This record gives sequence, structure tokens and C-alpha cells, in this order.
Amino acid sequence: MDFLTGEIVGILLFFIGLFGLMTKKTIVKTIMSMSIMESGIFLFYITINYTEGSVPPIGQTSEAAFADPVPSALMITAIVIGIGVTAIGLTMFMHYKQKHGITHWSRNRNQQGSGH
Amino acid sequence: MLYLLIVGPIVAGVLTLLFKEKDTRLLTILIQLALLFYALHIFIDVRLNGTLFNYMSHVPEGLAITLMADAISTVFVLMTSTLFLVMMIYAYHKVYFTTTFGFLFLVLQALITGLFLSTDLFNLYVLLEVSTVTVSILIMINKEKQAIYDGMIYFFVNVIGTAFLLFGIGMLYRTTGLLEMNAIAEVLPLVEDSRSLFLAFAFMMTTLSLKTAVVPLFSWLPKAHGTPSAPPVVSAILSGLYIKTGVYLFIRFSTMFSAAIAIQELFLVIGFATSIFGFVMALGQNDIKMILAYSTVSQIGLIMIGLTMGAEKAYWGSLFHIFSHAIFKSTLFLAAGTVYHYYGTRDIRQIRGVLKAMPLVGAAILFGVLGVTGAPFFNGSISKYMIAYGSKDPLIQFGLNLINLGTITYFLKFSTILFGKDERAEEEKPPKEDKLSEILLLVMGLFIFISGVFGPLSVDWIFGYETEIFTAGYFEKGLVYLLMLLAGTGLYNGVIKESGVLDDISHLELTFNAIITAMTGNFIFIIGYLYWVFY
Repeated sequence: MDFLTGEIVGILLFFIGLFGLMTKKTIVKTIMSMSIMESGIFLFYITINYTEGSVPPIGQTSEAAFADPVPSALMITAIVIGIGVTAIGLTMFMHYKQKHGITHWSRNRNQQGSGH
Repeated sequence: MLYLLIVGPIVAGVLTLLFKEKDTRLLTILIQLALLFYALHIFIDVRLNGTLFNYMSHVPEGLAITLMADAISTVFVLMTSTLFLVMMIYAYHKVYFTTTFGFLFLVLQALITGLFLSTDLFNLYVLLEVSTVTVSILIMINKEKQAIYDGMIYFFVNVIGTAFLLFGIGMLYRTTGLLEMNAIAEVLPLVEDSRSLFLAFAFMMTTLSLKTAVVPLFSWLPKAHGTPSAPPVVSAILSGLYIKTGVYLFIRFSTMFSAAIAIQELFLVIGFATSIFGFVMALGQNDIKMILAYSTVSQIGLIMIGLTMGAEKAYWGSLFHIFSHAIFKSTLFLAAGTVYHYYGTRDIRQIRGVLKAMPLVGAAILFGVLGVTGAPFFNGSISKYMIAYGSKDPLIQFGLNLINLGTITYFLKFSTILFGKDERAEEEKPPKEDKLSEILLLVMGLFIFISGVFGPLSVDWIFGYETEIFTAGYFEKGLVYLLMLLAGTGLYNGVIKESGVLDDISHLELTFNAIITAMTGNFIFIIGYLYWVFY
């Protein structure tokens, strides 16, 4: 199972999320697909150029190779942004649903409110 | 100390939030004035002493997070500070200028400045993401149903777009192990198999196609820029400035990839398609804001044409067009906001006699229209002439003339609001808005004219590019413009007014899912094109 690395799974998750975004009309499902897509990216990043048996670059120098810390550091930021974005998306959606009762992307800008 | 331009507005914005009970409008404007002076100082400094670098946290060059101010980015920063100041002065007497609004504007200013200065790819991602959030809040600040729907589409589409960018950066990091754009540009020639860059390139260019709203990804732009209830300053900043971040990043990213992948001709074709599609859509619109929004699509296409043509004069002409478009489009959007306030409708068939009712605003609109259509001695004509000078290919010349004819035709339709007679009864008319914003509009309108009359001088001052403009060819263009004005009038009165085809086209719109599908399609298309060209 050598081909099932984190990078491959990350790419697969990204496109699964993208598929959801292309096909699902429910706004909640859009937000979920977006999260799946982002998880794929996170997984891809933290397994970039990973070699078996490397250690974190903390403390004393050791025999084993150091793992690259930069992608992990980037992903902490990206995860925080991802949470923020999901929260804002959900807030917008909740406000919209409670006020206007719409849960789906409508077909036409001028004919909103079909609600399906 | 470039970071002051980015940190400054955010800190100042938080400060204004602390004094929420008091009137913070003057404070906001003073902060922006200070920023403008600092941006001007940096602009002059860079012009005299060359490119300026700022490395964070004492890490060597190439690894540190870098801010770079060069001849192009300082112009954009200066443009940002100027436009934001103008917007705030326009909004000074308006009801929507609350502390929260001022805070959001200051934050957006910081983010846009950051986008222009940063050369760190991950920083760019963060800035794009946060500015998307800020912009969508600004779009739906009135909490109206249509505005929230448009804001949501804008938000989700752009967040997904930036996710593409993040993935692309990951792929690039996997190959090069670097995040700094100048360093990446240096090492890219060493990459043996350029196929390892294809995915990264396609992902990043998909994001930029979305940000610059080219065919087929422009569908979000009219929604976001033409939202009926968004304050005019928001529409003006989005259309005048924020869209340019995409163009700027396109310039930067194509320079970065130029050693390994150069497919300018693809974007030349895309530019033409965007420009032509933009004006066809604009012809069918009846909403003043929508006409202006589709006009932005068309003009961005023109800018892309100039950037990818490969001629030096066209390249600088394109950059000057970015500058002139920023001025006349924001003038037109602000004026449209004032007109909407006075007439209570955005339908151009019902607005008449602006020039008589509001002479200052009417004059500003007239200047703006003359600028955007490229009338002789207005700044639009300088940039359009420089772009047209870049190629001798008859097909390209024909395309450019076609685009200009289209622009003239839909702006003829737009300028019908200036003339005629306002048929409403006297008591139906609302009180006029403050004089300050009207005078400001006229000043901006005059600036369109002045920067055009002194065209070669303004190009030299702004970009440091010396060129001959007022030649026989330029005046020939002036004659062509007059002919086109006649042709446009005939076309508008004879064909477009009567035919229903354009009405049908103008309702053509992509749903959210279709926009994402178009994005995926665009991505696959770029990948396919790369393989087709290189293998």
C-alpha cells in the first residue's frame, strides 16, 4: 500500500470536496464540502517531503533526519483561518435562513425563495 | 519600515473601535491622510533609491517573510491610499459611515496594501482570505436580502478560490522548498522536469482567473460589485481597486513562473474573450450599477490583453490603464450612488436630466464616461493608445477597435441619464445630499481630464516610463473615436434599442454550483493546455 501516502489521500479529499461543491445545492452541504476540501489541503501539506523515521527539530541534535517544520507551522495558521471562515459561513447561512427561510442556492438571482 | 503601512491602519482601526461612543470619522480621515503621506514618501524613496526590501525577524534573504516595494508596487500602494482617502471624504456626511464601517475600511486598506507589498506566498494567501471576509461583510452591511445572498455567493466562491491557491502553494513548496516569490523565480530554471510545476501553475492561475474575473469565472463580479443596497463607496473600492489585486498578482505570478512556464498567448485570448463578453453583457443591462460592473469585466479584459501582448509599450499602457480605470470607475460608481439617492431608482430608462438637476455630478459622470471610452485628451485614451500601439497584428487591432466600439455603445446608453427632463413632481424629489461629496466628484472628474492632457508626463511620473504619445497616430485615433461615436449612436438607436436578444443575454447567469464547475473546468483546461503545449 505504498501509494496510499498522505499526499495522495490529501489530493483525493480535495477533489471529493470539490465534487460536493459542484453538485450539492444545499448551502449546509456546501460548507461541509468546503471543510472536506480544506482538510485535504492540510493533510497534503503536513505530509510534504516526509521521510520515514525523521524527528521534529526540537532540542538536541540527533542521528535521525529532521522533519521540515515549515508546512506544519503554515497549517496551524491555515486551520485557524479555516475555522474562522467556516464560522462566518455558518453565521451568514443561519442569518439568511432564519430571516428568509432559504436553504438552497437558487437557480436565478431574480427568482429567489423557491426553497425547494 | 514598510510594515507600518500594513500594521498602521489595523491598529488605528482598533483604536477607533475603543472610542466607539464618540465621532470617529475625522480620526479615520486623519489616519488615512498620514498613511497617504507615508505612501508618498516611500514612492519617492523607491523612485530615487531603487527597490526597497523589508525582512522580518532577522532571517536571511529568501527564507524570511519579505515585504518588497518596487516601481510597480509603490504605485499600487499610493493608489490604494489615495482612493481610500477619497472614499472616506465622500462618505463623511453619509449615514452609513459608522465606526464599524470605518474600522472595516481601514482593515481592508491594510490588507490590500499588504497584498501589494508582500512577496511571501503564504502571506498572500492569508491576506486574500481575510480580505474576502472583510469585503463580504462590507457587501452585506445593510443586511438586505439580496445583499446577503450576493455576499454569500461572493464569500463562498472566493474562499474556495483561495483554497485552490493554497493547494498550489503546497505543490510549489513540495518542488522548491521555498515560499518567497523572488527566491522561487531564481530557482525555477533549475527544475529539470517542468511537469512538476504544471499542477501548481494551474491551481494558482485558476485562483487568479477567479480574482480577475475573466471568462468563464466572471459571474460573481457583477453580483458583488452591483449589489443594489451596498453603499456606493464599497462598490467603488471593489471595482476601482480591489479587483486590481488579482491583476497585480497575475503580473507577479507570471513573472515568477516565466522561467519555466510562459503561456502568455492563452491569457491574451482569454483577455479578448473577457472584454468582448463584458461589453455584450453590459449592453443588455438597464441597472446603472450593473452596467458599470460589467464594464469593469470588459476593462479588466483589456488590461489582460495589454499585459500579455509582449510589447513593452503595451505593458506600461496596461499598467497606466489600471491607474486610469481606478479613477474613472470609482468616480462613476460614486456618482451612480449619488444619482440613485436623488432619483430613487437605478433603472436608466427612468433617470433623466442628471446634468440639469445636479450639474457637478453630471459633469463628473461626463468626464468619467469620456475617460472610459477613450475620448482624446482623457486618461483612458492614453492607456488605450499605448495598448493598441503594442501590436501590428490586424486581428488584434480589429479586436481592440471592436471592444472600444462596444464600450462606446453601452456608455452611450448609460449617458442617456444625463440629458432629458426629470418628469417627477417637485414634491417627490428628495433633498439633495451634501455638497462635499459632489465637489469631490467634480475634482475626481477633473483629475481624469488633467492626467490625460498631461498623459506622457503622468506616465513618466507614475511609472518612470518615458514615451512619445501625442504623435500623428494618436490624433488619428481621435478621428477614429469620433467615427466610432457616430457608429455607436447608430448601432444603439438602430439595432440595440429594438432587439430583444440582448435582453435575453443579460439574464444569463451562472448558479453557485455552475460557478464552481466553471472553476474546475478552467483548472482542467489550463492543465490540458500546458500538456498540449509542452508535450
